[in-house]
Amino acid sequence: MIARKIVLAILGLLWLVPVYLLLANASKLPAEFGDYGLWEPGNIGALLTNMADAWDRGRLSQGIVSTAIYAVVSPIIAVLIGAAAGFAIVALRLRNGFFWFVVIFASTIFPLQMILMPLFVGYAETGLFNTRVGMILVYTVIATPFSAFVMRNFFTGIAHQVFEAAVMDGASTWRIFWRIYLPMSTSALVAIFILQATFIWNDLLLGLTLTQSSEIRPVITALSALQSTYGGSAMSTVLAGGLLVSLPTVILFLATQRAFSRGLSLGQF
Amino acid sequence: MSLPTARQADLVPQQRRPKNQFWLSSIGFVAPGVLLVAVVLYLPFLWTTYISFTEYNGLGDPEFIGIENYRDMFADPAFLNSVLNTLYWVVGTIALPVGLGLLIAVLSHGLPNATLFRLPFLIPYALSGVAVGVIWSFVLQTNGALSQALEFFNLPGSELRWLLDAPLNTFVMIGASTWQGAGVNALLFGIGLQSIPKEPLEAARVDGASGFTLFRTMTWPMLAPLTTVVVGLSIVGSLKTFDIIWGMTKGGPGRVSETLALTMYKETFVNNAYGLGAAVALFLTVVTVLASILYLRRQLAHSRSI
Amino acid sequence: MRKKTTLAAAVLTAAALTLAACSGGGDGDNGDGGEGGDPTEAVLSFYTDKAAWEPSFDDMNAASEGTTATLDFTGYSDPTAYDAFIKQSFRTDDKPDLFTWHTGDSLAQLVEEGLVAPTTEIWDAAIANGDVTEELAENYTFEGEQYCVPLNVVYWVMYYNKAVFAENGIEVPTTWEEFMAAGQTLVDNGQVPLHQMNIIFEFVWFQAILAGLDPDAYNGLSDGSVSYTDPVVVEAMNIWHDMQSDGFFIDPGVTTDPQTLLQTGEVAMAYFGTFFTGQLTDLGMVSDTDYGIFTLPNVSADLDDTSVVVETGPLCVGAGSANEAAALDYSAWWMGVDAQSAWSESRGDVSFNPGATVTDTALATVTEQVNGDGFLQLRRYLEATPTPIYTVASEQFGAFVTNNGDPMAVLEAIQAEADAYWAEN
Repeated sequence: MIARKIVLAILGLLWLVPVYLLLANASKLPAEFGDYGLWEPGNIGALLTNMADAWDRGRLSQGIVSTAIYAVVSPIIAVLIGAAAGFAIVALRLRNGFFWFVVIFASTIFPLQMILMPLFVGYAETGLFNTRVGMILVYTVIATPFSAFVMRNFFTGIAHQVFEAAVMDGASTWRIFWRIYLPMSTSALVAIFILQATFIWNDLLLGLTLTQSSEIRPVITALSALQSTYGGSAMSTVLAGGLLVSLPTVILFLATQRAFSRGLSLGQF
Repeated sequence: MSLPTARQADLVPQQRRPKNQFWLSSIGFVAPGVLLVAVVLYLPFLWTTYISFTEYNGLGDPEFIGIENYRDMFADPAFLNSVLNTLYWVVGTIALPVGLGLLIAVLSHGLPNATLFRLPFLIPYALSGVAVGVIWSFVLQTNGALSQALEFFNLPGSELRWLLDAPLNTFVMIGASTWQGAGVNALLFGIGLQSIPKEPLEAARVDGASGFTLFRTMTWPMLAPLTTVVVGLSIVGSLKTFDIIWGMTKGGPGRVSETLALTMYKETFVNNAYGLGAAVALFLTVVTVLASILYLRRQLAHSRSI
Repeated sequence: MRKKTTLAAAVLTAAALTLAACSGGGDGDNGDGGEGGDPTEAVLSFYTDKAAWEPSFDDMNAASEGTTATLDFTGYSDPTAYDAFIKQSFRTDDKPDLFTWHTGDSLAQLVEEGLVAPTTEIWDAAIANGDVTEELAENYTFEGEQYCVPLNVVYWVMYYNKAVFAENGIEVPTTWEEFMAAGQTLVDNGQVPLHQMNIIFEFVWFQAILAGLDPDAYNGLSDGSVSYTDPVVVEAMNIWHDMQSDGFFIDPGVTTDPQTLLQTGEVAMAYFGTFFTGQLTDLGMVSDTDYGIFTLPNVSADLDDTSVVVETGPLCVGAGSANEAAALDYSAWWMGVDAQSAWSESRGDVSFNPGATVTDTALATVTEQVNGDGFLQLRRYLEATPTPIYTVASEQFGAFVTNNGDPMAVLEAIQAEADAYWAEN
């Protein structure tokens, strides 16, 4: 037990070193940046100044609401769609289940960069370009294969007797899905949700390509503008901005940790 | 399904297998996912496939040229180098982020405050890519944070030009990607560990199994469904590696640290050779599909019997 | 039970948010001052890859109020994604009214496809009015017609840290010999003289040396009349090679911001475009106090005029866009003294309009110098070189900066691509 803790603690500290560098260098005023070594810490006042500077220059406030909507709504829908697909394949024993699974999963294989341009043209022609609905749609689709993969495999861990017993009791498939399978999978659902919410929150490519006006654009497009070759901001401002924009996702991870520690009662079914 | 129905099926030739009594709902449950990916992801892919047989600079109309792009692609030494780098990424990603993720999950499983111990590994994933790129360039630049630390502890390597020399730059970037990805794998493995029933483990423990033997004979086999997820996603993810390289070296200096995803992106958007870029994309997709199906067919066929 | 309600609530929230998004979304402000409308009422959809300049474009909206249209700004940070986006947008009904682009091959492509509106009348008026030089017009001329107007102009000059120069007893060099001697003094004193990068601006030292050695050869490379393996180009490359061997440049693996490196004196000089002034100002550095600017002396003493590389980026009107007429009206206003003084003040940068007030004295001096006698303006290598050749060149120069390899091998590789390109074009 002790040995395990020591190994984890050492690895953990090693993992936090770049996080320390991030904090240390985000807390140096651009004008004073050169006076410090990379490893030296800055100070809190400078961190706040840099954050405020990034917030103003980057106009980070503009995209926050949209980004929050995308990062909450899309993963929820994707988790449900993915779970439904997994349920169909594993519990309902969909014919050619493996084939349909591959159809959904293979869509993650196409490099995202290559579908951007056709997607843009398609969006412009259907009026989805620069709409929140369009963004929710594309993020949902991007998150679905991962969700389907995890849920499909998670459901294989649930004994099929659970399903059969529920059928004997006269439950409808919808009810079995909604009342039995989903509640049993909370930890997997939460994991998919936070991973995909984080991915969406941090997405740059889709946001840049499929939106235009400031109230629809995700916040990362604004953050990355700080890094432009022409007239970009100093690195410490970029870091402070990055830190600021990352706060919601870090908090999300912290807040959802309890869902994992609650201990799964899956094995008892 | 039970034996009698199977025999019945033999008597009715048109219907090779018994009809699943839930076939209608099973289609209903799978349909939303299939329809969404078909419309939003497969249609653009078809377009890309068509473009790979054309000459197209992003303006005007594509001109059909057959397989010329593919011939050019295989004749380009930089393409072959990028295949090699991609291979490094696949092997490195399965060894490091997956291996460490498993280690972290297993070590922290069942500990009091397990989530606390796992947290440092998750923070990197939650940070935005922009900040991560800047931080790693601080760490890996010549005489940067890493070199300074090595020098401080009198360790060798402080004079290395981490991001400039190949294949060193690919290896250190795999390191950076491990930093970002190991926690997610640990999270997924953790879910797998939690879903393992306690009774058989207890029984094995009573029988005297412990430590590594217990892990090898009991835990590892029962972890299979999530291992498949993690390894499957890692294969796909590593073949498509883009962000971290684009953020740190842009595939350079020259083209030495390019992977297939970078070659595809640069040919398409930097050089405006949309056809050639699409050909690389198609090659990448075929390789990834083959690798995934080979891996998944075995794994999933196995796990289906559970 | 509780779990069920939570899930149901989540789904409901999702649905509600989606609905709210439907009503809130849409590409609402699609300019209402189309053809023939009052141009001062129009709102132009405006796209740029210079996303960090948004505050300046806000200032310009304030300056143009009541005179001409206003801009609805959309910034892109990734130039690659931006180029692809603009090109594809011409396939849709959302053609950009106004957008920034690059001169050279990229603009030629758009012109060839008929995607940008001609601006010949605007240029004629501006030249007659003294708002812009005829030299600059060459960047915008295709088969006798002008397209787009200049968004900005950038002179490539040498920035130096005044304190470092003083400590090492160095005066601003006026000849190449003095420049090399200054570099050698710095190296001898353990100072790194010059900044250099292996991405984005990997080509600039090739450009600086060849332009100062033989401007005709430099220009000849861009139309294929001079080969990369010609003796004078080889000579330029060898000078660069020797400077690298002598420790004149910082290791390109050092990716700290160049403005920080110049501020701390880690490099004594940095060859940059005049946009660099803004980045130094952000660090609180004061021009003529903390740092100075000089034009790089010619390598060859036999030339009459000092070569200065000029970079200019266009502001283009999308042909057939919703507000084409208003966008052209805006373009004409943009070239005038009022707009350019406002622009120069907001950006703290130089302007292409000689009549515009440049507030920064160092920049004002440079502007006056390079537009006066004794200076020859040359196009920047990136814009002057056809894209396929540039692509290979940037890879080769990037590797050369990194490893200081065989100069001849670099030039042969670029010439191979140039041969292939000029055979077809």
